[in-house]
Amino acid sequence: MRKSLPVEDLARDERFVRVPITDRMNDPRSVTNTRMRTQAKLTPKRPDASDAARSLMHGIFVGEIQALEGAGRTCWDFETGDGRDEAPFALKLDMARQCWDEARHCEISVKLSDWMGTEIGEFSEGTFLYEAACNPDPVLRLTGVNRALEGLAIDVFNTMRDFGDAAGDPVLEFCEDWMLADEVTHVKMGSDWLRRLTADDPERRKNALEFQRVVDKLFSLGGFRGEDDESPVKLARRFRELAGFGDDEIDEIAEVAHEALREAQARRDALAADAAS
Amino acid sequence: MADPNRPRAAFTPWDRRELPGSFSVEESAKRVGHYKWIEMRTFEVLGGWVATVPELDVKLRLGTHTYHHAWHAELWHKRLPELREMNQERLNVPPNDELVAFVDAMTEPEAPDLTIEKLVGVYRVLIPHKIAAYTFHLNNTSTITDAPTVRSLNFALADEFDDWRDGEMLLQSLIETPDEVQRAADRQAELEKLLLAAGGIAGPGSIGSPAQGEPDPESEQVTP
Ligand SMILES: [Fe+2]
Ligand SMILES: [Fe+2]
Repeated sequence: MRKSLPVEDLARDERFVRVPITDRMNDPRSVTNTRMRTQAKLTPKRPDASDAARSLMHGIFVGEIQALEGAGRTCWDFETGDGRDEAPFALKLDMARQCWDEARHCEISVKLSDWMGTEIGEFSEGTFLYEAACNPDPVLRLTGVNRALEGLAIDVFNTMRDFGDAAGDPVLEFCEDWMLADEVTHVKMGSDWLRRLTADDPERRKNALEFQRVVDKLFSLGGFRGEDDESPVKLARRFRELAGFGDDEIDEIAEVAHEALREAQARRDALAADAAS
Repeated sequence: MADPNRPRAAFTPWDRRELPGSFSVEESAKRVGHYKWIEMRTFEVLGGWVATVPELDVKLRLGTHTYHHAWHAELWHKRLPELREMNQERLNVPPNDELVAFVDAMTEPEAPDLTIEKLVGVYRVLIPHKIAAYTFHLNNTSTITDAPTVRSLNFALADEFDDWRDGEMLLQSLIETPDEVQRAADRQAELEKLLLAAGGIAGPGSIGSPAQGEPDPESEQVTP
């Protein structure tokens, strides 16, 4: 087997439909609800709440598969060691542990999808998470995947847990709370390894944090995630702190999200002006 | 209530453990180093294969098993310094080049239509050999002096048996035609020959030496 498996070669059965991330986010059934062109908190009162929650659940499910695949590849792709292009033994052990956790998350997500009335393939799969997991530097993998994308997973699970509570769905609330605990662990792994492996290498740390910023920005697309109460997915400050984020780092993500929202609004205003003229 | 001052034996009446064991500290450390090496190769390849298998149930089982073998590698890694091997990398080696050739062949398949070949290598060849070598070690080491290794062997064996059953059942559910039965058998024979040449996961003596009735030609019986 090769070291590094390109994203095109990710193995899937015939139910899965792969699309670019922008198409995935433009699905009118998604939680950002591009059809209604509104930003709204995910609550049972939203007229499209069922579709939005199911879409988010499906997105979580395919994200879990890719998180599993990415952690598995980090066990295989690198020789064991402390060199720049190697992965330390203890890091590989963490990734193996993450494999088990993500496999459980897949199991939970399949059962929850069934519970919520959707099935594999009803929504599409974007592969950005796995792409971030293909970075040739293990530190960048850990910042891009564990800190940025699994940090987003913390926000999403927290949102889904609150949604389960508000909708009177104890099964959803229960499962999301358990997955949230695991994700805090994974994000903390990312924070700890970033600090450990770049302690004497400021350039590498700078690159890793820059990579994280790019990923964070991409997943704040269209104001999908933000700090105010009306964001479809709310930034979960408390859990991010548990996962090793400093206040300044959380402020920065909030700013990135806010900027993405402003850009999305500007685009919408420009489109509306065009249409009116 | 029993008289608290009455002398009692150190061993409970049902405790039949004995002092002598077949392995010296050095021999035990050498085997443990080989175990760490093969457990690492196992968890690395299972992790790598996750992305290459399209079958969702196989994908999730491989992900789960990846952790089991990583944990075994960690147990052996931690045991080494307790066996006076302070450099944990010195003994983290294969017993011979033949075992490396086996691992290279076992980890070679990548294509999405080779799930049977992947699973046969791990679940019909490697894991049965791990169970054999661990069982031999468990049954021949001193249950008193080497109790920490015994404990780790028992934990590892519990996982190996469970994972073997998972893998075997996955294979039985994937094999649907006589041709696929042959495919699996051919693959097993190819890899068994390589592992035969290696003498097992810990090299010759992995499961003792039946001709002499001795545990291992290289080790001496230690008596109290
Ligand atoms: Fe997860
Ligand atoms: Fe995770």
